[in-house]
Amino acid sequence: MIEVTNLTKRFGDRIAVNQLTFQAQAGEVVGLLGPNGAGKTTTMRILTGFMPPSEGTVIIAGHDMVQDSLEARRNVGYLPERVPVYPDMTVREYVLYWARLRGVRTAGKSADDAIARVDLSDRRHTLIRNLSKGMRQRLGFAQALVHNPPVLILDEPTIGIDPKQVIEVRETVRALGKDHTVLFSTHILNEAEQVCDRVIIMNEGKIVAQGKPSELRLNLSPDATLEDVFLNIVNRRKS
Amino acid sequence: MAIWIIFRREITFFLTTPFAYAIAAALLLLTGVLFNYDLNASFSTKPADATLVPTLLSFAMIFFAPLLTMRMFAEERREGTMELLLTAPVNESSIVIGKFLSAWTYFTLVLLITLIYPIILTTITEPDLGMSLSAYIGIWLYGGTTLAVGMVFSSLTENQIVAAFLGMIALLLLWLADQAGQIITNIPIAVVIRLLSFQGHFSSSFAVGLIRLEDVIFFTGITVVMLYITIQIVESQRWR
Repeated sequence: MIEVTNLTKRFGDRIAVNQLTFQAQAGEVVGLLGPNGAGKTTTMRILTGFMPPSEGTVIIAGHDMVQDSLEARRNVGYLPERVPVYPDMTVREYVLYWARLRGVRTAGKSADDAIARVDLSDRRHTLIRNLSKGMRQRLGFAQALVHNPPVLILDEPTIGIDPKQVIEVRETVRALGKDHTVLFSTHILNEAEQVCDRVIIMNEGKIVAQGKPSELRLNLSPDATLEDVFLNIVNRRKS
Repeated sequence: MAIWIIFRREITFFLTTPFAYAIAAALLLLTGVLFNYDLNASFSTKPADATLVPTLLSFAMIFFAPLLTMRMFAEERREGTMELLLTAPVNESSIVIGKFLSAWTYFTLVLLITLIYPIILTTITEPDLGMSLSAYIGIWLYGGTTLAVGMVFSSLTENQIVAAFLGMIALLLLWLADQAGQIITNIPIAVVIRLLSFQGHFSSSFAVGLIRLEDVIFFTGITVVMLYITIQIVESQRWR
């Protein structure tokens, strides 16, 4: 569903993403892990078609993100790290707007469904400026889901919300993983372990390890946590 | 149709937020006061000016156009919605054109309200309505061009105030160049300035009842060029 081959992104002399290759199948939740500045957000921005790669290819649901960008973009739902909103719109207007822009035929019904799915139905006519941070996060999910894309890309969806909401978001991601391909980034390792079928660990723009969380742990030692794996890899690179 | 969806979102913003009403109120107050003054003068010193409002707007749009367009891209960038727009299956040109048409439509609505002044004039005297109409058509095109200039600056920055300020400076410089062109003694330079200035294609043609094809083409052409530049700037944001 997502096929990334030799993806490289340079900003001037700095290489943000270096020769990334990975796949994600339908119905798989893949976690993108790494310290801040590892290249997670850049990778996601390329995968969603926001910025073009310097080298390499991205194929989403069979469509090349550069050659066939509009069609590829139609198949992606994207939740950026900071939920982008129009404070002057109501919840329903906002979701409806994105549904229409992404060419959903039954925009009204799809918007209501997406709003119901993130449990904001009773806030349908509330102005976004009056929503709490957690609700905005849910609204961000509704926007990403409204066109029912096969691929969902979520950039650190659990940052800055309270612990109860974090649990809700994790449940949402897991539920979405049943019928979508989900790529989601985090730097909380525990979270990756709970939510993902597979994790990809990035550091300094490169993939340094990938596999099932359990496998990665076993490779190191029988009782290692994912945290140990991560620190081990990151430190090994530094020394 | 993406242009229509963007247009609808933007025009709703214009018609539902206090900001847009404040701008319209300021414009109508300004034109109203000066119309009143002109009308008073017409009873003693000179005939009433049927092209008063369009002529006033040809100067006022230097300040109002950037205010109307400043938020268009600056806000999308600040709020991060630009990232969603650019990952939606929509061309940059649809975004830019949709936004431009909404601002122009809003300007058209305000312009229609000011038609009340020539209508008032007809109850008092016999104004040259043909000249009035020509001036209105001129300022409609002229206004669209200034809005397109404003959009270029909105697409350049995240800061609305900076966007408005730069837009005003650019339009003011164009206006000043025209003023300079009128007193300059070097004929070829004066001709070039005249050829390129917005004022030059309005004050001596539309504003005196002359609708010339070259002026229509000038304003339409500059608008298209400005929109093209805006599209290129929006596109270039993908690379940063």
